[in-house]
Amino acid sequence: MEAVKFDLLLDACGLACPMPIVKARAALGGLAPGGVLKVLSTDRGSVKDFQGWAKAARNLELVAQETEHKDGREIYVHYVKRTS
Amino acid sequence: MADPRAPVVEWSAAEVAGQLRRPQRLFVLDVRNRDEFEAWKVEGREPVPTLNVPYFEILEQGGKDEVVDSVREFFGRGLGGALPRDRTVLAVCAKGGTSDLVALGLRELGYDAVNLAGGMAAWAEHYGALAVVESADLAVYQVSRPARGCLSYLVASAGRALVIDPLRHVERYLELARERGLRIEAVLDTHAHADHISGGPALARAAGAPYLLHPYDGIHPFDVVPGRVAFEYLRDDQELRVGRATARVLHIPGHTLGNSAVVLEGRYLFSGDSIFIASVSRPDLGGRAEAWTPLHHDSLRRLLALPEETLVLPGHYASPAEGDARGCFAASLGRLKRENADLRLVASGRAAFVAHILHSLARVPPEYVEIKRVNAGLVEPDEDKAFELETGKNICGLAHPAA
Repeated sequence: MEAVKFDLLLDACGLACPMPIVKARAALGGLAPGGVLKVLSTDRGSVKDFQGWAKAARNLELVAQETEHKDGREIYVHYVKRTS
Repeated sequence: MADPRAPVVEWSAAEVAGQLRRPQRLFVLDVRNRDEFEAWKVEGREPVPTLNVPYFEILEQGGKDEVVDSVREFFGRGLGGALPRDRTVLAVCAKGGTSDLVALGLRELGYDAVNLAGGMAAWAEHYGALAVVESADLAVYQVSRPARGCLSYLVASAGRALVIDPLRHVERYLELARERGLRIEAVLDTHAHADHISGGPALARAAGAPYLLHPYDGIHPFDVVPGRVAFEYLRDDQELRVGRATARVLHIPGHTLGNSAVVLEGRYLFSGDSIFIASVSRPDLGGRAEAWTPLHHDSLRRLLALPEETLVLPGHYASPAEGDARGCFAASLGRLKRENADLRLVASGRAAFVAHILHSLARVPPEYVEIKRVNAGLVEPDEDKAFELETGKNICGLAHPAA
């Protein structure tokens, strides 16, 4: 799979719900429309929560999600684009 | 009015279970995403008014950076509908962190809000136990796991115990036996479970007791390879002794090929996954519905021939409403013959039963194949993986959408 281009990286590893989305919302606010935020999370629940969040929010799009395996643990990667 | 400066009151899963028995002053606000909410929720025998609003919707519509502030905006402006002022609002999320912030925001609005400590993860590990019958000669304890609708049993007589279908958190059974001064002499699975990870092998090891299973269920039905779990063979008409009590094994293939039931003292039927209170078990979780459904019919007929006063103690329930006022899931076979529609279907004959079942099969969750691998000892999940596999309520019974 070709790597998704992003403008800002947010490492939310080790943070429990709701912090990955709380921090992602704040980070997204600092991006210009069209900008993509890459979020790393170790919280498995973040996968469905980011999907639900993207539907609930008016100004963002979930571009891609993937799971990386690193040092024996799973890291959930979310690419979120600010649309307006 | 609640004091907004006071810290949020945390209710343990056990306290929540207690409150659910008298839910007239309770309201549940579940802030998980909708899929998780649909898969399982906090519920009791009496319906509890429940609202599901995912926390990210509260954040977006409340429009503040922090959860607490967004909750104040969202519910303060009535965006989430009206929360009751005359009930305790129990905030629920996956692990208890987000719902704690939600409860805090609600308290600032003057609601009597509390938090389910540890969230659904804690609720998932809550077990209840109550005595079906209790004397020195014979005691039967029903050990339930409400989050999943799973039931298991500890049978005791004269200081000895047999555990039937123990669930994953085996320390619950060891504690129960220790409290009552019982020695666990045998551990039995009525079948290779698909919906939950069995505690059978682990409990048997911990208790130094044999693990009993019908040999047909020692083979994984999809992979068609033998499992790696050591067990002693359970066989039809086998007699089991527990202290002064005697039990008899009935091989009732259908739900699985090795599916078995146990009749204790001729009066108590541990039906495992065959007869439930409001349904019967599915014959399609092994991927061989055409071949297994006729067997299932014949096995159910065999159970229906037991005396009417036999007390049926099932392996699952679909709704807590199936329990009695004490929260015990049990019913006489005579009553079930009259009230259980699936059992009435058995009486209509094999062809009609088979045709009906094969036309009304529900989805088989993909994780059930993997859970059977775990129970066969073919894979060993870590705690996170085990938890994930066991997410949601069991769907081992025939589907009853209207129920």
